Amino acid sequence: MSEKKQQVSRRQFLNYSLTGVGGFMAASMLAPMVRFAIDPVLQAAGGEDMHAVVDVSEITEEPQRFDWTVEQVDAWYTSDVTHSAWVYKDENDEIVALSPTCKHLGCAVNWAGNPDYPDQFFCPCHDGRYYKNGLNVPDTPPNAALDLFEFEVKDGTLYLGNVKENPVQEGGA
Amino acid sequence: MRWKKKDLEMFFQSKEFIDTLCIPLIPLDLQTESEAIKLADQNTSLQIISDELERNYTGRIMLSPAYTYIRSTNYESESAILNQWTSMLSYDHFKHIFLLTYDVNWKKHERLLDSNLIWLTATTIDDYQTDQTKKWINEQVTQISELIRSFW
Repeated sequence: MSEKKQQVSRRQFLNYSLTGVGGFMAASMLAPMVRFAIDPVLQAAGGEDMHAVVDVSEITEEPQRFDWTVEQVDAWYTSDVTHSAWVYKDENDEIVALSPTCKHLGCAVNWAGNPDYPDQFFCPCHDGRYYKNGLNVPDTPPNAALDLFEFEVKDGTLYLGNVKENPVQEGGA
Repeated sequence: MRWKKKDLEMFFQSKEFIDTLCIPLIPLDLQTESEAIKLADQNTSLQIISDELERNYTGRIMLSPAYTYIRSTNYESESAILNQWTSMLSYDHFKHIFLLTYDVNWKKHERLLDSNLIWLTATTIDDYQTDQTKKWINEQVTQISELIRSFW
């Protein structure tokens, strides 16, 4: 009778409970570490910082400049930062949103800013030029194409996110 | 370019391209509440205009921290100090120096100044977020940059 009752010996019981408690403690330490380690992955999966910029119906084939203001929180203070984009529809009716920041020294470029080149972006600082798709015109100061904005269209509104490198290789209007 | 670590590193790499210095002139006056408030508001809008100017012409304009002075100053001696400032800063870097101000007293003493004075007429702005204000600031920036570009 007593034999049957003691299926778990005192030693076994202590072993089991120590393993259990130890395992629980290890897990509670490791779980946050894993969470921290893969945090960037989780971030990317979540929604990015997209900002409503303009109604899609306002976008034409001619590039137009749109500004929007973002509240930027730095470590010490909060400030409103204005961003701009040149937005147009290309011949395939696809939206193109170019960053206005010149790849030379960071001035803001203007569409048709130079009357001599009405089909190009023009940087007023050092006469840099770009074709409509953002590619830099050879023999002008910039050495890379204008960056593109990541964008999405939701309910007829264009949302712009981060800038990414522009993959264009060939110029053209 | 601004007076910031990252911008200055770039500035010293590409010095030959950045030939224009802009200095906002900011007066202080605490004698009466209404004047102080007015000047503080002008400070805000002048900062916004200079920030926008810098944002559009980052690669050619260096925006200096504001030159701050007491408004009841003697403008003749103040001009001498300001000239000293600009001559020290311009030291073989800047071909063009522009002073941005709302203070009409500088306009009256313009002949004493070594640099180009851009005097703007002030307006009181209640809300910086309205479309009208943004339009007004854009218009100011466009006109100032047109003037500056005529010097380039």
